[in-house]
Amino acid sequence: MSNSGQGRATPTAENVRAHDDGKSAQAQKRPERSAAQQFFHDAAIKSADLVHREIIRKNMDSYFVAHDRGRSRFADWEAARQRCHEIKREAVNNLDKYLLQFEQNVIANGGKVFWAATSEEACQYVTELAVRHKVKTVVKSKSMVTEEIHLGLALEKVGCDVWETDLGEYIVQLRNEGPYHIVTPAMHLNRQQIAELFRDKFSEPNLTEEPEELVAAARRKLRKAFFAAEMGISGANFLIADSGVIAISTNEGNGRLTTSLPKIHVAVTGIEKILPRLEDLATFWPVLATSGTGQPITTYGTLIGGPKREGEVDGPDEFHVVLVDNGRSNLLAHKEEREVLHCIRCGACLNICPVYRHVGGHTYGTPYPGPIGSVLVPRLEGKEFEHLSYASSLCGACTSVCPVKIDLHHHLLHNRRDFTEKGSASARERLQFRLWRMAMQSPRIFALGGWLTRRALKMIYGFGLTGTIADPMRAWNKGRERVPLPQKSFREQWKKELKNGR
Amino acid sequence: MGVKGSRELILQRIRDGLRVAVAAPPRTESGPIFEHVVNPLERFQIECKANLIALTLSHDANESRAQLKAELDSLAEGEIHVQDSPVLRSMIEAIQINRPVKWSSQGAPAEASQATVSLAEALVAQTGSIFVSAACGGRGISVVAPCHIVFATVGQLVPDLETALRNATAQGMVRKNSFACMISGSSRTADIEKILVQGAHGPRRLAVILQQS
Repeated sequence: MSNSGQGRATPTAENVRAHDDGKSAQAQKRPERSAAQQFFHDAAIKSADLVHREIIRKNMDSYFVAHDRGRSRFADWEAARQRCHEIKREAVNNLDKYLLQFEQNVIANGGKVFWAATSEEACQYVTELAVRHKVKTVVKSKSMVTEEIHLGLALEKVGCDVWETDLGEYIVQLRNEGPYHIVTPAMHLNRQQIAELFRDKFSEPNLTEEPEELVAAARRKLRKAFFAAEMGISGANFLIADSGVIAISTNEGNGRLTTSLPKIHVAVTGIEKILPRLEDLATFWPVLATSGTGQPITTYGTLIGGPKREGEVDGPDEFHVVLVDNGRSNLLAHKEEREVLHCIRCGACLNICPVYRHVGGHTYGTPYPGPIGSVLVPRLEGKEFEHLSYASSLCGACTSVCPVKIDLHHHLLHNRRDFTEKGSASARERLQFRLWRMAMQSPRIFALGGWLTRRALKMIYGFGLTGTIADPMRAWNKGRERVPLPQKSFREQWKKELKNGR
Repeated sequence: MGVKGSRELILQRIRDGLRVAVAAPPRTESGPIFEHVVNPLERFQIECKANLIALTLSHDANESRAQLKAELDSLAEGEIHVQDSPVLRSMIEAIQINRPVKWSSQGAPAEASQATVSLAEALVAQTGSIFVSAACGGRGISVVAPCHIVFATVGQLVPDLETALRNATAQGMVRKNSFACMISGSSRTADIEKILVQGAHGPRRLAVILQQS
């Protein structure tokens, strides 16, 4: 399928090119710009894009109205967050026990469980399965883990047509992009842009911009794929240990069709998605829906516990669960950040984050953007993404909305501390902080430093060098009204006021 | 490390990681998370309306049959697919409909089905949900056709999700079936500008006939 999105797994231009050229996986890791440079580059473009800003503002406004209304449906929203936090804590702190219980139950119900330590192992398992069954067409319902491990790309390499079936995912797939947001992947597009895309890709020049018509057009296309597919790939929102079922939440019903029609169903998911008991969903279903979209509950809360049983009408002949570690287990040994594994991927921290809303989801260059991505991705992917932990004003809005009470903004600080201690800071930054420490410990040096800076800035401003490379305030001044120069330092003013007896 | 050893490797990493002690915060006592459902039927009606479920109450079997007939008569031409159960067989046989009827015992619903008719395992008042399992005619029956009609009785109504899920475990419903689903409305999407559109991949219309005796 020509439209099946090479390079969609990572949205930066460099990576798209790397994939298009058919280079090896290593080539993606060595773009012309470093990931950090790319972040700055893309952030500068996006934050000045007024159309983007307007689209995101509109989307977020309607989300917040729904989110407020959703929370008001709970007798006690804070108690719900606390309960979810406690259940997840129990699950994660007994992860080995619950995963084994889950595995045992899945096997007893006729399913297969594969444990993948890395992305490569997970992809290899699924592609081998596809090759063995001569799979031509694969339908996928939304799964962030498959984005993380680049499964779509791996399946295309072995000759499969891969169809994203969540409407938002399908739209970004047609555009050769990665998802913009973990819940609403095409949030960055308005209906005009989507209509244009469909007219072009579907050769339906008369399609209007009415959302209903656009949805119907996508439905027609995807229906054919659903009924042709030999393999369905889903994620899992939760893995239920005591019953050996996976829980998938979808509104569109694409997750239902993906897990009902093809002969093989593969669920690819992270090891941390475990919940101890089926009843836990009585809290998690409403909490996930409220945090994700503001709904009281997602339309379809599907529970799958194996392949079609004897006497059942329909369903796949094979059911596989791929449990992906890919660095998650390392977080368990981190006593502050173990709770990052509580995340249920609701997207609430993205929506409220002022940085996310300005730089946009694609700028992060990872499948998990926003505050949770900035905490998690450097831990999963390593040094290349350490800069993301600085993509935050530490305002704490993310922590205030997290439905499982992850202390996100403090974890961003923990990351910064750990990376600096490990020696990730540049020589320049280390020097700057050494000087800063000296100044902070000595009032004279502090005063001298302030005096020098004021003089120097006055000269630089005077020579018309504001915002140039000579300007120490360049980062701020180059795009904004310049930082005003105080006539006197704070200390001078303080002394003067003391003398005046005030 | 070969693929075969990954299971042990991951488990080992998990166990090593968990050896690092993390102090648990004190458990906080809090009140109920959800309002107690006082009148399940009334609540179910309110929530169905919010979920865009077409709910009709019937007093007896006669009325239910009439409602099912009205629902089926409003459809475009084409076959319907019905869960093969004694209750639904007697209902369909009693009403006269001039269209082909396929039963779930004959296989999965065809893509061209105009509507599907099934029973439910339970109804949930708190969220206006229909809880179905593979025993309610399979997996596809509640999602393939543009219209899904559910026949249920008021005795199947439970106050909240927790009760429904606890019963599902206790009665072995989840163990016995490879599939179950908590359905809370018609298929929908808001992926385009957050505008709600019904009938994304599944039914545009979800109708429930709830018999009170």
